[in-house]
Amino acid sequence: MAALTVIGIGSRLRGDDAIGPMLIDKLSSLPNSKIELVDAGSDALGILEFLQEREHVIIVDACRMGRKPGSIVEMDPSQIDMILKDDPISLHGLGLAESIKMAQSLNMLPEDLKIIGIEPESIQFNGSLSTPVQRALKMAVDIVEDKLNRVSQVAEA
Amino acid sequence: MSRDLDIKVHHLTRVEGHGNIVVNMKDGVLEKAHLSIVEPPRFFEAMLKGRSFHEAAIITSRICGICSLGHQLTSLVTTEDALGLEVSEQTVLLRKLLVHGATLQSNILHAYFLAAPDFLNVGSVFPLIATHKDVVLRALRMKRLANDIGDIVSGRAVHPITPVPGGFSRIPEKAELLEIKRRLLEEGLPDGLETIETMKALAGAIPQFERETEYISLKHPDEYALYQGDIFSSDSGATPVSNYLDVTNEFVVNHSTSKHAKYNRSSYFVGALARWNNNHAQLGEEALAAAEAMGLKPNCHNPYMNTIAQVVEAVHCILDSVRIIDRLIELGLKNEKPNQTPTRYGRGIGSNEVPRGILFHDYTYDNKGNIIKANCIIPTGQNLANIDDDMMKLVPEIINKSKAEITLNLEMLVRAYDPCISCSVHMLEVDFIE
Repeated sequence: MAALTVIGIGSRLRGDDAIGPMLIDKLSSLPNSKIELVDAGSDALGILEFLQEREHVIIVDACRMGRKPGSIVEMDPSQIDMILKDDPISLHGLGLAESIKMAQSLNMLPEDLKIIGIEPESIQFNGSLSTPVQRALKMAVDIVEDKLNRVSQVAEA
Repeated sequence: MSRDLDIKVHHLTRVEGHGNIVVNMKDGVLEKAHLSIVEPPRFFEAMLKGRSFHEAAIITSRICGICSLGHQLTSLVTTEDALGLEVSEQTVLLRKLLVHGATLQSNILHAYFLAAPDFLNVGSVFPLIATHKDVVLRALRMKRLANDIGDIVSGRAVHPITPVPGGFSRIPEKAELLEIKRRLLEEGLPDGLETIETMKALAGAIPQFERETEYISLKHPDEYALYQGDIFSSDSGATPVSNYLDVTNEFVVNHSTSKHAKYNRSSYFVGALARWNNNHAQLGEEALAAAEAMGLKPNCHNPYMNTIAQVVEAVHCILDSVRIIDRLIELGLKNEKPNQTPTRYGRGIGSNEVPRGILFHDYTYDNKGNIIKANCIIPTGQNLANIDDDMMKLVPEIINKSKAEITLNLEMLVRAYDPCISCSVHMLEVDFIE
């Protein structure tokens, strides 16, 4: 099993909402087989099967948090109520927050789950990543690599 | 009864996207009852302009995370029609298997997570996790099986990558298909039968409301139509898909950013109930038995029964997938290359039944194989006028109920159509006015 699972959520057609899938693209171009990469598109409920039987999972999604575009906020599932309230980006009846809540109720959550929210500038259709979110993408790659190093060290120790 | 009623439901929950229900009655006269779509349109057509025939299906598959396979396959048949690309029997069978997977997944999610909470009046799926954990797990198991069909045949469940113009870029292994067949029979079928029992127990909570309307779906000479066929209207019979514009007659209304559609009447119904009404005779005996058990009869005019028709289709998809896999193996899987040599350039029109109803794509290609014009007509858009007509009939019938009950009935009505406003534009809310 991979040491770390990274799940990107979002629509590639909606400007900064593409951050999740774009991060997956970026990570897949790096030489590293220890990460399981999942492009969940905008089907948030589809993440459930990638939460089960995993130890360390990172979910990356665009989140409206009322911060400066490109801001990165790391959340854990205990903060999920906050996300539930603040989930206007999700297009679907069951968005990311609901899916995580469901996984939680069904005891499917991995022990270590982090949600990385990135504040979008624009989620207009047919847009590309804004400059601040492009910068955030680079930082998100660092966060994932950092996490992988820590997870691998613990595994070796 | 002389009554004033003012209902506004903003951001109707448990539908794909956002819209509002607005009802306005004054002195007992219903002035307004409609579903208002407030989202900006998506302009897929603009996104497709200038794209090559290799790209069109990839772009359309990303229109919506819920309906990606339906858009992708419809895009492919449209491109093949425009460029004169013939496909093999194996390709058609693999595509039908994909359609079954996507239909199973979408119908099951709607029935369990979006409609069942209404029948039990619990507000959302979350209370059900505590009280009916086995049922929720069953729903997730069925979703996963459906997903895995997609993964094996198309390479990736959410945004399929191996279906390309003219065929498939990768053919699944025989062992993979046999494993899917095993799971369909050992997990899928028992879960499907349990689903019928669950829905049977809930069927008593389905509102009794009837409004006969025009039902439009595809019709296929040999099978229950989900992949290609002719357009069929319960009012006027069959017409070729190339005549779709005569059927959809899109028009603009003030309360919706998504266009409405009408054919022989002021509105028509698309989706599982329309398919059931038009094509039920082509279902197998297990699916027909499921319908009977859940109280779904031919020529059903209760829109709330759309959810039950979806469950009947889920049973059909499970069993027909087994039949398709048997046929593929009997033919012997061939490692064929997709046929991507155009024999002409011009206009192509394609249509499939996607979970929410009949979907049309229409592209015109230039002689370099790039799109110069595109049109996509989405099922939810076609249902909007019918939803409004239902509301106009429903509100006076239930006017003596409490405002909360009326609101719930209206929300349930909209959710019964399983609307994907994500596709048609993207969001939905409900407004009551008193």
